[in-house]
Parts: sequence; structure tokens; C-alpha cells
Amino acid sequence: MTTSATVWLLLCVLAPAVLGCATLWLPRRAIAARTLVALLGPVASFGILLQHFGAYGVSPIEAPAATPVIDWIPVLHLNLSFLADGLGGFFGLLVSGIGALIVLYARGYFGRDEAALFRFYPTLGFFTTAMMGIVLADYMLLTVLFWELTSISSFLLIGWDRDDRHAVKLAMQAFFTTGLGGMFLMGGVLMCGYATGLGHGEGLWRWSEVLGAGAGRINVSDPLIIWSFVLMLFGAATKSAQWPFHYWLPGAMAAPTPVSAFLHSATMVKAGVFLTGRMFPVFAALDLWGQIIIPLGAFTMLLAALIALNQHDLKRIFAYTTVSQLGLLMCMYGLGSLDYHGHANIEWDITQIANHAFYKAPLFIIAGALGHFISRDITQLNGAFRKQPAMVITMLLAGYALAAGPGTISFQAKEFFLHAIHHAQESIGPWWMVLMAMAAITAVCNVAIFVRLLTTLMGWPGGMKREASHAHDDHAHGHAEHEHGPWAHLIWIPGLVLVSLQYVGGLAPGLWTQWIAPLETHAAAEGIPTALHAFMHPTLPLYVSLIAMAGGAVVGLGPLMRGAIVDVHDRIYPAMYWLSVTGGGRAFRVIQTGRFRNYIVFVLIAFLGAYLCAMILDPAMLDWPATESIFEFIPGVLLGVIICATAILMPIVQSRVVRVIILGSCGFSVVGMYLLYQAPDLALTQLMFEIISVILFVLVLRLLPDTKETDAASGRWWRFTIGSMTGLAIGWLTLVAAQSGAEPRLGEFFARHSSTGTEMTGGRGGGGNNIVNVVLVDFRGFDTLGEITVLSIAALGVFSLFRRRESLPTQDEFGDQLMRSVRA
Amino acid sequence: MTISSPVLRNSMRLILPLTLLYALFAMLKGHNEPGGGFIGGMIFATAVCTYRMSHGYAAQLRLLPIHPRILIFLGLGLALGTSAVPLLLGHPFLRSAVGEFHLPFTHHPFHYASAMAFDLGVMLVVVGVAVGMITQLSEELE
Amino acid sequence: MTLILAICVAVTFAVSIYLMTARELKSIAMGVFLLGHAANLSIIAMSRTPVRHEPQLLKGPPILNASFNPAQPMSQIVDPLPQALILTAIVIGFAVMAFLLSLLVITSRKTGTLSVEVLAREGVEE
Repeated sequence: MTTSATVWLLLCVLAPAVLGCATLWLPRRAIAARTLVALLGPVASFGILLQHFGAYGVSPIEAPAATPVIDWIPVLHLNLSFLADGLGGFFGLLVSGIGALIVLYARGYFGRDEAALFRFYPTLGFFTTAMMGIVLADYMLLTVLFWELTSISSFLLIGWDRDDRHAVKLAMQAFFTTGLGGMFLMGGVLMCGYATGLGHGEGLWRWSEVLGAGAGRINVSDPLIIWSFVLMLFGAATKSAQWPFHYWLPGAMAAPTPVSAFLHSATMVKAGVFLTGRMFPVFAALDLWGQIIIPLGAFTMLLAALIALNQHDLKRIFAYTTVSQLGLLMCMYGLGSLDYHGHANIEWDITQIANHAFYKAPLFIIAGALGHFISRDITQLNGAFRKQPAMVITMLLAGYALAAGPGTISFQAKEFFLHAIHHAQESIGPWWMVLMAMAAITAVCNVAIFVRLLTTLMGWPGGMKREASHAHDDHAHGHAEHEHGPWAHLIWIPGLVLVSLQYVGGLAPGLWTQWIAPLETHAAAEGIPTALHAFMHPTLPLYVSLIAMAGGAVVGLGPLMRGAIVDVHDRIYPAMYWLSVTGGGRAFRVIQTGRFRNYIVFVLIAFLGAYLCAMILDPAMLDWPATESIFEFIPGVLLGVIICATAILMPIVQSRVVRVIILGSCGFSVVGMYLLYQAPDLALTQLMFEIISVILFVLVLRLLPDTKETDAASGRWWRFTIGSMTGLAIGWLTLVAAQSGAEPRLGEFFARHSSTGTEMTGGRGGGGNNIVNVVLVDFRGFDTLGEITVLSIAALGVFSLFRRRESLPTQDEFGDQLMRSVRA
Repeated sequence: MTISSPVLRNSMRLILPLTLLYALFAMLKGHNEPGGGFIGGMIFATAVCTYRMSHGYAAQLRLLPIHPRILIFLGLGLALGTSAVPLLLGHPFLRSAVGEFHLPFTHHPFHYASAMAFDLGVMLVVVGVAVGMITQLSEELE
Repeated sequence: MTLILAICVAVTFAVSIYLMTARELKSIAMGVFLLGHAANLSIIAMSRTPVRHEPQLLKGPPILNASFNPAQPMSQIVDPLPQALILTAIVIGFAVMAFLLSLLVITSRKTGTLSVEVLAREGVEE
């Protein structure tokens, strides 16, 4: 492979975003051109990827061959290189293929709404690029980068209706949940790179190394690797909406339906499954793999299926079945780690992933279409077949696949999964029966949903009946009057195209095997059997399927579980939000008293406590330091007496003029002290400082009212106590610190290099004779630069404080604003 | 804020040029002898403020006819610029250069370091800040 | 000499804390001012500079390289680093002081009071 392969794949990743943004330059009215340009992006990606496979073949997972590296940020282990193995390549084809169909569907869905299409296509392209990046990136951190980009674009798309506060809230919910997962993923990746780098020099930062040459360096008993796995799995679980984080996915249904069909059923939510599949070859050796993923996936699968049955809004029904299916896929990878006759217990994982995308996206597409023309509430759709026959037929075809009926690829996928559970008895003993029961109940729910769809849409007896009207319509998003002509049919045709793939796989498994098998990592040699074959050679999984279908028909026609329930998990995010915002606001009001005194006392008590701890730990601190006699040097004594006396006088004197004089004389004694300590620079600066600050004080004291200090005697005693304790502590600290000190000191380096350099600095010196000045402007120049910036900001602050007096908020207004922001 | 004292007025007229000169001297010689940008700036600001006390705001404006804000920006810009020049030459930020050259009619070579330009920036900032703050507060008083 | 300075640090620190816990903003400003002195004195005391009994500052200040003898052990010469740190601290202290005083003036104008108690009560009740 040459570097051009990397460039081509980079183009493949970027094409949707670039062409999507290019539509912004088209005239607003050119809707057809806009659609075509936007369509070109995913189609180009699809084509480039196919061409890549044609030229280089599918990279085998045992020896993954990534494209040559183009340096981007080598220091951060973040470079451009792509890995088109079966899993990543399949996802790339899936994303770009469905992406193209969604571009067309969006045209049908939004109709002639120019403003919506103008905004939609760039965002969609942005998302498609992010998703392509996740699945094709070779550098793990590149995956993380694109991972976060999908969170952002998903946020933009869920909060599509910017005026709808509820939708915006749900967008935040999805963003924070998946964004949190992204953080964990990054932590996992960094930990993995660090752990594999210990003792080996360079760590593993590329999927191709982790899966290929470096696989041996991953020590599955290393706690760091285990933590790395747990963190990455957490990221995958939040993205793929596993319990208890699944709440964001039904919430994300606030997005326009093209988004739901694309992001929240077929692609983005599968990113977690994809990541699990990426990690599978290496991390499946961990015991934790099966122990975490199987129960988590199975529980999510069952719970979401039960909730789905108790919903009325079509999009919510399909959202929960999506969560259920994602649980199933995770569980599949979990079961895959179990041993079956010495092999990994996993078959046709890519077929199982593809299966879901090929029926779930059409279901959403038609749900949006029906919502447009009739309603999205299933109870309002009784007899919809008479009004929209084509849409209803497409939906029922997809619904049949949801029920995993024979003749669809979904049937085979379900069989593979049940087989995997059946095989698991070798490893997990009787627990397999629990799993089998969970899978069976899930299948019952799916079949029941299909039966209800069938009876309701066709208007047959047993269907859902109209109740009190609380419709969820898509009219808000769409056009007021329905469009006619060829473009109008785009609202359901993409669904039919996708769902037809289901029947290709189900009725002609040979063809499916031919297409998919090259991408499969865990394919059985004999290909996918036909449904007929399964019926001719019945096994336990088939019986379970048949029982589930019968049970599903009974439940679907029966009178139970027909209401719409509220998912308790929807409260998780609001509760967390309340806790952090309202709870934080309450804590703020308790801690932030606004009394300066309280803050100081908190700090001082903490300081004194730490000081006490240090003294207990190191009793040597209590030894009296060896010092000379106090009276050794009389000028020093005199200056010290003046400093102490003026300091003590300061709180006693009340007259402000005397106070200023005292302040000044204290400062001038400090100047003398600096002279004694042989610091002429300091003395000069302090002198000027004293002059200017005395002027300042005089000015300010004249501006301020002459109020007297009013404090009760008890308060004064208390202040005196804490003040003298702190003073003693600091004084003692000074004495102790002055006695200790290691050689050589940092100052020595500065002293030796201020003028001319030594060999240590390569002969470079500061070129100055005044060491203090050289330290300031040369050695510590950065510090000084920052300092003069602080000075400038302080001065600008003073200027602006006095500038526009009227426009400054008054005390009351400021308090109002603060409290409002706390309550919000 | 003006103090109308003839003694102060006359002595200030004498002292002011000397003080300003000394401030510049302290700044320029700072690299080799006690002094530097901070000190020079403080001395300069003190002189200007005292002059203002004796002669009034109008006199100060004649002495320093620009808003102190501009001095601050000039100083910051000079310091930042001096620090950034080495970047253009491929050196790290803030690297200094030293050297010496002969001024006409002198025997001693003039010793310079690029850090002096930095120091000049520091001085401008300090002057701007100190003079600006005092001016602002005394305007409030008037 | 270190002992004298340590006593000065203790006293100025104690007084500045006493002032800063006062109920009035003017006293707090004075406390902050004094705190700057205390901190600077503490740093210079820790620098272990040997104090010469006959200061000859104007002739050959010891921070100059010319009077620095490389053979001399460090314990006998002046450490320039604390001096540089204090120099910046003084100037920053000046800016902070001026800013604080301006805030005081503004607060007094807007609210008509300088009492911390009154200000805090008004802020919380709003």
C-alpha cells in the first residue's frame, strides 16, 4: 500500500462533510441541486471504499494492514492512518450507503422547506464524516476524536428545533451522556497506550498494532489493561445505550425522523457495538469480558423489549426495540468470548449487525412518513392501509423482519444468536437457560409488536383503537401542504430499498453470503443456511423461535399491555441535573455567605490544621533554631521595633490621617530592612511604592465616608486569638525555613550565568551584571511578561470601574442576576 | 488634587527633570547596576504624580500628553514583540541576544542586551499603570 | 538578624489577620496592605542573606556580578532569586492595592456602606 491509499481513505472520510458544507454556497432555492450535491458525499465515500477493497482486499484481522502513516501530531500519537478490515469496512459501507438513502429521504421528509434543507445537509454531512472516521481510523485517539464529533453532531441534530425547549433539553441529555462515555473511552485508550508502553518503549496506539503485531504485548492480567478495558467498555455502553444509560436514545427521538433513522437506529448507536467488535479479538481473553457484557446486554435486551411493547408513539416503540437489539448485539459479543469446542462461540457477527440496520432504518423512515400524513401515534393509525398503502406495506415488510419471520435475514440472525446461547452451556452451565428465556421473551415482545402493527394498520380486528387524542405529529417539522410528483415519493422509497435487502438475505442466502462473507471475521465455511434448511433440521433454537412466535401472536392480539407507560429511567438525567445544579445552588448559598471574614477563617483554620499535622509528623520542627543574639546588630533592632510598633498601632488608631502616616512609616522601615539585606533594587522599588501608595491612600480615604469600626469586645478577642496564632505560626515557619536549606540553591545558577555562560548553558549568559535584573528580564522573562499583563489588566479594571458609572449593575441588580442564574 | 504651596511648586520644577532623567538612567543601566524597568517605572510615576500634586492636572497633561492606557499597550506590545522576535529567527520564545557597539565620540563600548528592550516595555507598563490609577482616582475626587 | 525579622513577620502577620477579619472594608484594605509587607519580609528572611555590619551598598552592591566571586561558597553571598521574586511581588501588590481601593470607592458609592455585614446580608436576602 502506498501513501495514496491513506489520502484516498482520508477523502473517503471527509467527502460527506466537505460536500455537505459545499451545499451552503448553492442558491437557497436550488433544492434539487442541493440534494444531489449532498448525495454525492456519501456516494463518493461508498465508491472510494469499494475501490479500496478492490485494490487491496479486505485486511485480515489476524494481520491487519493499515494504510501508511501521514504524520499529524506524532507527539500525541495522533496521526492519519486508516484500517479497512472487515468490521470497519463493513461499517463504512453501511454508514455511507444508508447515508445516501437518508439524503434522499430528507428531501422527501422536509419537502420544499428550503431553510430546513439548507441547515440539514451540512450537519448530516458532518455527522457522516465523523462516523466514517470512527470506523476507519487506525489510530485509537483518532477514533476518540471522531467519537466526540458524533456526539456533537448528534447534539445538533436532536436539538434541531431550536425553539423547542424540551428538544434542547433532550439534546443536552444525549450529549452529556454520550460525551461522558467519550471521556471514559479516551481514558481507556490512554491507559492502554501507557500500559503497553511500560518496559517496551513505545506503547500501542494503533488498532492495527493492538490487533496484530502487538497483541502479544497485551497482558490480560495487568490491572492497567483491565481498567483500560472497563473504561473503553463504559464508553461503548453509553454510546450504544446499554442499561442504565439507555434513556438518552428514546429521548433522542425529538430529532427529525431522518436523523432518528440514521443516527439513532442504524449508525451512531452502533458505534458502541463497533467498538466492542474492535476490542473483541484481543480483550475477549479477559474473564471480565463475558462477565460484564453478557448480563448487561441480556438485561438491556429484555428490559427495552418489555418497555417497547408498552408504548404508543411509533418512534418510541422503535427506539426501545433499537435499545433491545443493541443489547442483543452486545450480548452476542459477550457470548462470543465463551469457548465452544475450542473455538470462539461467535458466528456471522456482521450479518447480525447488518440485519438490524436493514429493518430498523425503514421502520423509522415509514414512521416519519406516516407521522407526516396521518399520525405517529399507533392508536390513531387504525386502517392506515386504505390511505397510504405503499408506506404501510413497506412498514409491514420491515416489521416482519423485526419479528424475525422466516424468509428474512433477521430470522437467520436470531437463529445464530439462539445457537450461541445454546452453545454457551459448555462454559456457563445452567445459566444458559436463563439467557434463553430472556431471549425468548424478547422475541415474544418483537413478534407482538409486529402483530399489533399488522392488525392496526390493516384495520383488522384486534388492532389498537383510537383513544383520547394526544398525538405526536411530525407536522411541526414539515410542510403544511403535501407535495406531489416524483420527489414526494422519496419519503418512503429509501425504506423499501433498504428492507428489500432483508429479503435478499432471507430468500437467497447464497447471494448474501457472497456479498458479506468477505467482510466477516467469524464466518462459518458453509455459508448461511436457508430458512428451509433450518426447518428440515430442527434444533432447540428453532423450537424456541416457534414458541416465541406463537406467544407473540397471543400477546399481540391479547388485551394486556396496551397502555403507554413512562420509563422510570427517564428520570435519571433530570435527577442528576437537579442534583448538580439545584443542589449546587443550595450548597452555594450555604457556603458563600458573602462575609469576607468567614472565607479567611476557613483558609486559616485549614492552614493551621496542616501546620499542626506537619509538627506532629516532624517534631524536629519544634527545636529552637540556632540564631545569633537579637542585639547583635543595633540598626536591625531599631528597624524591627519600628515595624512592629507601627503594625500594632494600626488597628488601634482611629484617625485616618494618623493611619496613613503609620502605614507610610511602616513601609519606610521595610525599605531600611531591604537595605540591610543588601537589596538595593528592592529598597528603591519599595521606596517608590510607599510614596505612591501613601498618595493613593490619602486619595481614597478622602473619597470614602469616615465611618468608625464597630465590633463587639468578644469579636475582637476572637480576632486577636486567630490573628496571633497565625502570626506565630508564620513567624516560626520563617525561622525554621531560614535555618534549613539544601545546596546548591537555584540562585547560585542565576548568579553564575547572569553575565557569561558556562558549559552547562552552552556558553550563553544573560549579558548583564545586575543579577536581579537579569533574573527578571531574562531567566524568568516569561514570569515578568505575565506579571506586566496582570498589571495592565488591573489598571484597565480600574479605568472601566469608573468609566461608565451608570451602566454598571447596582448591588441589587447584581444580586438578582446571581440568584437567577443559581435558580435556573 | 493640588497642593498650593510655593515651596513645593518651585522645588518640583527643579527636581522633576532630574528625577525623570534618573528614572531613565535607572532603567537603562538596570542590566548592569541597581535599577531596571520596574524601578525606573516607579520613579517616573512618582515624579509625575508629585508634579501633578504641585502643578495640577493640566501641567501633567503637558508633561505626559497621552492617556496612560496607551502607554500600557505600547509597553505590553514592546515586551511581547521583543519576546517574539527570536521565534522568527528559529529560536525559542524570549531568547535574548547580547553584544556591544561603539557610539561615536566615546571610548567605552556600549554594552547592550535585547532584554533591555523588554525592560523598556516593563517600564512603560509600570508608568502607565501607576500614573493611570492615580489619575483616575484623583479625577474622582475632583 | 533572622530572629528580628521573624518577630517582625509574626507581628505584621497577626495584625494583618486581625484587620482583615474586621467588619469594615477600610480595615480589610489596610490588612491586605500589611500582608504584602509580611510576606515579602518572610521571603527575604528565608533567603539567609548574610547581613554585613558595615553596609557598603553604594560602592559595590553584592547583587552585582562584578562583586561575585565564583570561588566563594554560596552560603556567604547574597541569593538574588528571592530579591527578584519580591521585586515582582511589590509591583503586583501595588496594582492589587489600587484595584482594591477602587472597588472600595465604587462599593461605597453604590451601596452607601462599607460594612461587610450589611453587604453580605443584602446579597443573600435578594
